[in-house]
Amino acid sequence: MRGFGDLEQVIMQRVWDHDRPVTVRELFDELALERAIAYTTVMTTMDNLHRKGWLAREKEGKAYRYTATASQAEYSARLMQEALADGGNTEAVLSHFVAQMDGAESEALRAVVDRLAERRPR
Amino acid sequence: MRPALLVFGYALMVAWLAPPLLTRLTARGISARLGLAAWLTAMASVVACAVAALQFLVRAAITGWPSLAEAVCRSVTGTACAPTVYKSAAFEAGLGATALLATLTAAVLSWRYGRSVQRARRRTHEHAELARMTGRILPGAGPAMVLDAEQPVAYCVPGRPAAIVLSSGALAVLDPAQLTAVLAHERAHLAGRHHVLTGLTRALSACFPAVPLFARGAGEVARLAEMCADDAAARRSGRPTLIAALLAMGTGTAVPATVVPDTALTATGCAVVSRVQRLLDPPDRALLVGYGTALAALTLLLAAASVMLAGYAGPLATHALALI
Repeated sequence: MRGFGDLEQVIMQRVWDHDRPVTVRELFDELALERAIAYTTVMTTMDNLHRKGWLAREKEGKAYRYTATASQAEYSARLMQEALADGGNTEAVLSHFVAQMDGAESEALRAVVDRLAERRPR
Repeated sequence: MRPALLVFGYALMVAWLAPPLLTRLTARGISARLGLAAWLTAMASVVACAVAALQFLVRAAITGWPSLAEAVCRSVTGTACAPTVYKSAAFEAGLGATALLATLTAAVLSWRYGRSVQRARRRTHEHAELARMTGRILPGAGPAMVLDAEQPVAYCVPGRPAAIVLSSGALAVLDPAQLTAVLAHERAHLAGRHHVLTGLTRALSACFPAVPLFARGAGEVARLAEMCADDAAARRSGRPTLIAALLAMGTGTAVPATVVPDTALTATGCAVVSRVQRLLDPPDRALLVGYGTALAALTLLLAAASVMLAGYAGPLATHALALI
């Protein structure tokens, strides 16, 4: 299962790297240069990514042409937004190293650090 | 009837009386792991006893309705309970309605509990997938991903596979030793399966906000899990490095470990400061042993009492019912 998840990630990365729609054949040809992989595996993985909403596709002749539904930067931004919103959430599901702080809390912490830096200069 | 009430009464007693005691024992976070165990055991024992008591009541209602009616009538009115009363339509209808209402309430609450646990899990899995797909892999750091964002952020997402997510802003303010401490902290959360504990206890407090043990327990479990992870990171990287990492991530500026004092700070104000304070003031051996013993004893007591009560409620109750 783990290997399969990794393949999804590899394929998404490839699709993002291409600036145009790609076919299963094109990605398979690229991947086959680097690893032993079956055409049907690439096809199934891309089909899964489509089903999960990561890839959009359009039929062209016999084959599908795939594009990412959003850019990598957009997904990164969405992830960060989720992570930050979660930090101040009582229903939080992520374990943040440092919880989100409000203005007064960050100021209090800032003051502590400033005082320490003064007390013991490097 | 009596045994079920006894078990239920015990559950209520623990739910209302345990929080102040547990809070006092775990406030300073001395032996955080045992503190965590004590809170969780108290919560589990209340759930187990409440379920056992309910189960008995339902079984009694199904198998011996007339004797249950009589037993309830007796326990309310004492010996003055006559057959004309507990065999009357009004009494039976009232009792029936109460039983139905209790069953419905229990069903709705368990359904809501399951749904809220489920929803949190789904959100986590979606987030883990998003992280796996979009993050860059941090070389040599295990399952760690880096995302481009200025704000210093570090967290772990449980799942298969789990991921630790760091923002590029976090990498910018942490030196290599501090980064190791942060990763050790997050790995401790994943290894200790803290998300399961916080997930279950948060859902409990959301479903039963009026029960002090659950309402208070969710926050305490999260706080103690944080302390456990801090302890693991401090063992791995040393206290000063972890403290510097906490301050750096909290303020968004690089903080060298050399500015970290070796005595307690005179400051309060936020969760990070309390965590720093706790790390600066480690308990001596006597305190550690004292608190550890008290917490372990309390945990054992709670576990033994609830196992006995929940385990014997069924047989005892059947016995009592046969006597009536």
